[in-house]
Amino acid sequence: MALLNRMDWYDIARTTNWTPKYVKESELYPDEMCGSMGIPMEKWEVYDEPYKQTYPEYVKVQREKDAGAYSVKAALERSRIFENADPGWLSVMKAHYGAIARGEYGAASAEARMMRFSKAPGMRNMATLGCMDEIRHSQMQLYFPHEYVSKDRQFDWAHKAYDTNEWAMIASRHFFDDMMLTRDAISVSIMLTFAFETGFTNMQFLGLAADAAEAGDFTFSSLISSIQTDESRHAQIGGPVLQILIDNGKKAEAQRQIDISFWRAWKLFSVLTGPIMDYYTPLEHRKQSFKEFMEEWIVAQFERSINDLGLDKPWYWDQFLHDLNIQHHGMHLGVWFWRPTVWWNPAAGVTPAERDWLEQKYPGWNDTWGQCWDVIIDNLVEGNLAKTYPETLPVVCNMCNLPINFTPGKGWAVKDYPLEYKGRLYHFGSEPDRWCFEQEPERYAGHLSLVDRFLAGQIQPPNLAGALAYMGLAPGEIGDDAHGYSWIEIYKQMRMKKAS
Amino acid sequence: MTTKNIATADMNNRVGPVMRAGELADAIIEAAREDNPGKEIRVDDKRAYLRIDTDDEMILRRETIERNLGRPFKMNDLEVDLSSFAGRIETGPDQIRFYLLKHI
Ligand SMILES: [Fe+2]
Ligand SMILES: [Fe+2]
Repeated sequence: MALLNRMDWYDIARTTNWTPKYVKESELYPDEMCGSMGIPMEKWEVYDEPYKQTYPEYVKVQREKDAGAYSVKAALERSRIFENADPGWLSVMKAHYGAIARGEYGAASAEARMMRFSKAPGMRNMATLGCMDEIRHSQMQLYFPHEYVSKDRQFDWAHKAYDTNEWAMIASRHFFDDMMLTRDAISVSIMLTFAFETGFTNMQFLGLAADAAEAGDFTFSSLISSIQTDESRHAQIGGPVLQILIDNGKKAEAQRQIDISFWRAWKLFSVLTGPIMDYYTPLEHRKQSFKEFMEEWIVAQFERSINDLGLDKPWYWDQFLHDLNIQHHGMHLGVWFWRPTVWWNPAAGVTPAERDWLEQKYPGWNDTWGQCWDVIIDNLVEGNLAKTYPETLPVVCNMCNLPINFTPGKGWAVKDYPLEYKGRLYHFGSEPDRWCFEQEPERYAGHLSLVDRFLAGQIQPPNLAGALAYMGLAPGEIGDDAHGYSWIEIYKQMRMKKAS
Repeated sequence: MTTKNIATADMNNRVGPVMRAGELADAIIEAAREDNPGKEIRVDDKRAYLRIDTDDEMILRRETIERNLGRPFKMNDLEVDLSSFAGRIETGPDQIRFYLLKHI
C-alpha cells in the first residue's frame, strides 16, 4: 500500500471543527476555559502550526528519543556519578529534579487544556502531542533520580517537593500554578508555551546540559537536552496564536501576558538556575556564567523572536538587564544562609579562585556580595558555625514568594514596594512584581507567603524546628553546606600564613 | 555566543538550529554549508549542544542531510536532536527552513 505524502492529507485531517448540534458553541467552548477574547471561530481556523508532526511520526521519533536517553543511562551506570561527582553537582541535580519533575505533570494538564479548549484545530493537534511530551518529562525525571533515593534521601524530593510547603516549592508552585493550572487555553499558549518554553526552559535544559557535559554527567546532559527537543516543538504552539491576537486587535493583551510570565519566570530562575550555574557547578566545569547563558538564550534568541512577531520588549527590560548582574547573587547568599530550609546542600562556591571568577564575570562582586561572604568566612574560620545561621525571617515578596534582596555594600538601597489591597498590606521586591499583582489582584490576593503564614500563627512551634516540620524537611533531608565546610580550610591556611 | 554589550545582544539576525551533539549535528553543519551557498555558517560548540546559525534565512534539505549522513533520513527525524532554534521555523517533508520576517 502506497503511503500518501504527509502534506497531501494533513490539512484535511486537521479540519476538525464542525457546527455543534446539541449544544451551543459557548457551551462547547466556555470562555473561562478557551479565553478566545471574543475572536470568532473562523479567525482561529487560520491557525497554521509552523512545526508540523503527525501522530505516527510522533510515536516513531519519541521512541527513538527515549531509547537514546535510557540507553545512555544504562551504558553509564558504571560511571558512578553519585559516588564520583562533586557534591556541588549532586546539589544541582537535587534542586533541578525537585523543582521540575512534578511540574511537568502540571504542564501536561496545561497542554490538555489547550488540547480540549483551543478553537484552532491545529493547536489542538500540537497540544495533544505536547501533553504526551510532558508526561514523558515527568516520568523520566522521576525515574532517573530514583536510583539515588536509597543512597541519599534528598533525592526523594524529586517526587516529594511538590507536596510540601517548603519555601522554594511555594515559590515554584505559585509561579507554575499561575501560568499553567489556572489560565485558559489561549493564555497558556502565550504564558507557558511562548514566554516560558521558547525562552526560559532553554536555560535549564540546554544551558545546564552544557555544564553537565563538562562535569562528566552525560546521563543528565543527554536526558535534559532530549527533553528540550520536545519543548522545541510544542513551544511553537504560541507563535501563531500571537499572530492571530495581533491581527485581531489584541496586541496589548498578548503583550501583557508575556510581560507577566517573563518577569515571573525570571525571578524563579534567579533562585533556581542562577545559583546552580554560578556557584554549585564546580568552577572548572562552568561552560559559561549564568549571565552569559541568559544573554545567549533570553536576550539574543528569545527577545529577538518577540521582536520578529511585532511585539515589544517587556516594559521593565532595562531593569531586567540590570538585575541580571545582581539578583541571583542575593538569592544564592540567602539560600546558603537559610540552608536548613532547602532539600539540597547548597555549595557556597566562594573559594578565592571562585571569587576571582565571580569578580571577572560580575565586576564589583567582591565589594558587594563578597563583603557578606567575608563575614561568614570569618565566622567559619574562627569556628563560630552558629553565627553563620539566621535568627530571623527574611521579608518575602508576595508575588515571587522569594526573599526581597538588594545589592549589599556602599550602594545598598533596599526598598520595599508595598501595596494595600482590600485592607491587607502586601510587600513586593520590585516594581514589576507589584505590577504583576495589580494586573489581576483577585487572582493573587488570597495567597499567604511563608512569612505571612508564620505571622498568622500557622507554623507551630514558631521556631526553626516548627518551620522545618511545616516545610516537610525530615532529618536526613535538611540542607547543609555541600562540602561540609571543607572549603574553609584554604582561608584558615591563608590566615595562618598572614599571622606567621 | 556572548557580546561585549548585553543591551544590544538582541540586535541580531541569527537563525538556525541548536542541535544536541552527535553525528546528526555534524551532518547538519555540512548541509547548512551546502544548502546555503555564499552565506557564512557559524558553529558555536557548547559540547552538549551546537548552535549552528547564519543571518536571516537558513535552509536544510533532506537530500543533503541524507548524503552527509550516508543513510536514509526523514526530515521530521531531525527532531530527535533539534533541541532549540533561533528564528522561526517552517517544516516540510523535503526541507526545513529557519527564517526571520524582519531584518534589523
Ligand atoms: Fe516539559
Ligand atoms: Fe513543555
